[in-house]
Amino acid sequence: MDTSSGYQVRLEAFEGPLDLLLFLIRKKKIDIHDIPIATITREYLEYLNHKERINLDREAEFLLMASLLIYIKSQMLLPRESELTEEGDPRQMLVDRLLDYQKIKAASLLLREKEDVEHMKWQRTFRPSISTTQEDDLIEVSLFDLAESFFALMKQKKRENIQIIKGKEYSLEEKMKEILAILNENSFLDFLDYFKEQETLEEAIVSFFSLLELIRVRTVIAIQESLFRSIKVWLRKASHSKGN
Amino acid sequence: MENRLKELIESLIFVSSEPLSTERIKIVLEEFSREEIEQALQKLVANYSSDEKGIEITRSAGSYLFSTKPEFDPWIRQLLRIERKNKLSSAALETLSAIAYHQPVTLAEISALRGVDSTHTLKVLLQKKLIKIVGRKKSPGRPLIYRTTDKFLIYFGLNSIKELPTEEEISKILEEEK
Repeated sequence: MDTSSGYQVRLEAFEGPLDLLLFLIRKKKIDIHDIPIATITREYLEYLNHKERINLDREAEFLLMASLLIYIKSQMLLPRESELTEEGDPRQMLVDRLLDYQKIKAASLLLREKEDVEHMKWQRTFRPSISTTQEDDLIEVSLFDLAESFFALMKQKKRENIQIIKGKEYSLEEKMKEILAILNENSFLDFLDYFKEQETLEEAIVSFFSLLELIRVRTVIAIQESLFRSIKVWLRKASHSKGN
Repeated sequence: MENRLKELIESLIFVSSEPLSTERIKIVLEEFSREEIEQALQKLVANYSSDEKGIEITRSAGSYLFSTKPEFDPWIRQLLRIERKNKLSSAALETLSAIAYHQPVTLAEISALRGVDSTHTLKVLLQKKLIKIVGRKKSPGRPLIYRTTDKFLIYFGLNSIKELPTEEEISKILEEEK
């Protein structure tokens, strides 16, 4: 357990291992060009140990960094023949990566500020319904409408007859996560646009099933704004407002 | 029409649903020289920046469009009944920043820069058309290479990639964080 500091930040708060390392370096007021590898490795591993559940997808990258830290430490302990020629600090590679990452991270904060300002400006093209009853002429789409659109699209795809080398398998779970991620970032997903971007028939079919599953468990809703318009998929309100 | 070039251009920008580029204006107004058009545009932008206007003409990615002034945002959101616009996730923003500064760049390079597998984030950014594929690298595996788009510039209100936060601005942020 970490007793050296009063507060502990959860691992999820970090974008990745570099982010966590930078945080520890700043917290310990360490000079980035002269990192005490043993100290930082201990701190770093402590953070990993704090996890109750292990999420392998994310953790792998954190573990990779831990092994790199330990490797660097071992390199520093080894007596080296060419001591005199000063063949370079084994830490240098890590320092370079940290400095690069630090820049990207800082720049992304500046971009966030710009995004904030731009979001406060509105264009004429931004036209959501001003009417108070938002669901006016929205039509919830039936399974058959969806299937029909989907098959029409697939026929079109077949005609394009693109040769693609199969390299990847798609899982339902992965696709569902992807669709939800898109919905969390954009307010909606355009049915036609989304399927046009699918690379293979196989991927499109898995996506379609994922979408149907999401509709079945009522996480999302498929809506047509009016007849003959494109179909849009939205998150359902209840599952959307997770904070409240 | 010579003496009303500024108003003429104003009307062109007004009816455009997409940001209007100087090139496009030049094609429509072929009887005017590039300098005349540039000058009129400058005056027009200056006119709208006055406090007596609620809207302004912004220039991003070398194109012009009308937008409201940022200070009126709270009331506009009330009118449109929108609580907030969706922001990019911090992962998406970080990935964009990596691409913007290191482009043209491959997925493997982006993931190495961030220390995190970026396959999914990249896909989201492609879908949002903030980045695009510009070809393949001539290296083993011939990986795809990515660049930021004009939509990226417009999204952040930048005129060109040269207007990205500079080295000085970045080091200032880093100083403040210490």
